[in-house]
Amino acid sequence: MIKFSRYILVAIGILVASIVLPSLYWTIFEKVPRSPNLFYSCIKDDFIVVDGSIRKSPAGKEYTSDEYEQALPFMFYRQLMADGTMPDTIKGVKMETPSIARASSFYRYTPKRTDAPVPTLWPMLESQSGKVNLAMPEDYFRIEKRMEFIVAKTNEINEEKSMLFTDALTSEGFVFPANIIAGLPTTRKSVDEGYFITDAAGSLFHVKMVKGEPYVVRIETPEKLDIVYIEAVDLRSREYYCYVFTGNQGIFVVMDEVYDLQRLPVDGFNPSIHTFRLSADLFNKCITILGENWYEAIAVDEMYQVVGTHGEKWEGLYERPEGKMLASLFPFETRMKDENSAYVRFYFKPSPGIRWMIVNLTALIVAVVLIMRRGWPLKSNIPDLLITAVTGIYGLIATQFFPNKFSKVKPPDKK
Amino acid sequence: MLKSLLYKEWIKIRLVVWIALGLSLVALINIFLKVRHDILFVDASNYWYSFLFRGVTYFSILKFLPFIVGLAVAIAQYFPETVNKRIKLTFHLPVSENGVLIWMHSFGAGILLAVFLTVLVLFNAGSAIFFPANIIRASLLTMMPWFLGGMATYFLVALILLEPMWLFRGLYAAVAAGFVTIFYTGASIGAFEPVLAPIAVITLLLSFVVLFTGYRFRKGEM
Repeated sequence: MIKFSRYILVAIGILVASIVLPSLYWTIFEKVPRSPNLFYSCIKDDFIVVDGSIRKSPAGKEYTSDEYEQALPFMFYRQLMADGTMPDTIKGVKMETPSIARASSFYRYTPKRTDAPVPTLWPMLESQSGKVNLAMPEDYFRIEKRMEFIVAKTNEINEEKSMLFTDALTSEGFVFPANIIAGLPTTRKSVDEGYFITDAAGSLFHVKMVKGEPYVVRIETPEKLDIVYIEAVDLRSREYYCYVFTGNQGIFVVMDEVYDLQRLPVDGFNPSIHTFRLSADLFNKCITILGENWYEAIAVDEMYQVVGTHGEKWEGLYERPEGKMLASLFPFETRMKDENSAYVRFYFKPSPGIRWMIVNLTALIVAVVLIMRRGWPLKSNIPDLLITAVTGIYGLIATQFFPNKFSKVKPPDKK
Repeated sequence: MLKSLLYKEWIKIRLVVWIALGLSLVALINIFLKVRHDILFVDASNYWYSFLFRGVTYFSILKFLPFIVGLAVAIAQYFPETVNKRIKLTFHLPVSENGVLIWMHSFGAGILLAVFLTVLVLFNAGSAIFFPANIIRASLLTMMPWFLGGMATYFLVALILLEPMWLFRGLYAAVAAGFVTIFYTGASIGAFEPVLAPIAVITLLLSFVVLFTGYRFRKGEM
């Protein structure tokens, strides 16, 4: 039992060392990762890559500040108007501020959104109150065995309203409980469109409150979708309600009013590791999918037809000097947080390659020398040596911090 | 004899335990008076909103309470034993040396657990007045690592105090500090959920580690 208690301590020591040492290493050596921004220019009919302070074409031609602004007239229309360089028409379309503003939008998805704790209570706003301003309701709903509204002031369930909404959901074939609930729980939006909800069977529903009555629509999907994340948006253009991210069936938008699912022309998107960006203007939408060391940009026209693609790949973390160095020093690292998740976990990251074996071997030799200098028998220290061989520096530190002296001290005779 | 042994432990820690309970009670009263006050001023629905969508927690003053209580109970229980190596007297009792230490340690851990459970039960009862089960569950999930951290602190401080050599006390303290930090990592509401089971298991395993320095103490490691 005493030996066992020592191994618990050694294990804790290894865990702590594998968190602290790499974290210290990264604090000293970490460099800002590359994360270029992409835009599609309707003037040049080509992409513009913004990488730090450099703006260039995919072919590598660098743009000056003025060229850059003129190539993206929708992004910089106020600057261009002030300069007097804003064209009157582009592609035969007359340029007017309201229509430019209405068509412009930007959206960004990161894997952290999906892998995060989510609220289980939501406010159901009145979507047609007849008032100019939206108002927060007095109650919050949850969808578990049924849909329940809880009045915040009294902390009690409003049975009447709960029954009304539960019945409306049931009659549309909703299977309780809800899985994903997505909406914009704020009054700072142009209109209220309620919530987009998936049920226990994976079907998609639109639920809102119109003049106190439930409004429920079952949204038909072209095939059974493995929906992992939904994000409702408040577009001034009222083009679509929300983005729907699936595990491996791609990304969809749910079109406003008609509830058609439009698939975005993106392949190989993995919502648990990839970032998604979409910037829209009057003519095009520029979609960018970012991995750890690559991006793929796709430009589409207003009918979602692809008009251009561009991709780039650069050195991954473990190909760069600082990453190589880490992978040589440590056999693995442990983190409590990860850039792809909002949850705290033990994120175990094994180092690629086998260069760390050299350091592990050195650690093992040091351990052997230390044991021999103390005159301890090697035989009774085999577990320690194995631990050091596998976990390298971490194991060496942990086994020395909690020394194995059981072999040396003879147990005294019981009195 | 076991009864007298446990009574001796109780004498050592009782003052700390009563102070800990008193402080926790004051903290809880403070929390719920403040919730009541804020709900009167900003309306219950807005108060819920700030919890659900802005991540504002009403119980953050409880964060380091378990850590302080765990630390205090461990010091109260084990520091007197290290003065003049008094614990050696205990080891001379006609019971197994490990057995005595296990009883002492289980008693301390049990009392600490009882204090923590009392706080959690009272917290739950107070929260139920103002909030629905969803908010209480999210709150408990957020607080759980803090209380587990309190237990881990108790186990590790006992380990450090019983260690006979100052050098190793320092080394253990470094590991303990690194480990206890995990429990108090800043995170959003409910973010610890996936890691709760593993850290609970590790904390349970930590209850054994005092045997290691207990052994070193007995064998007169210098």
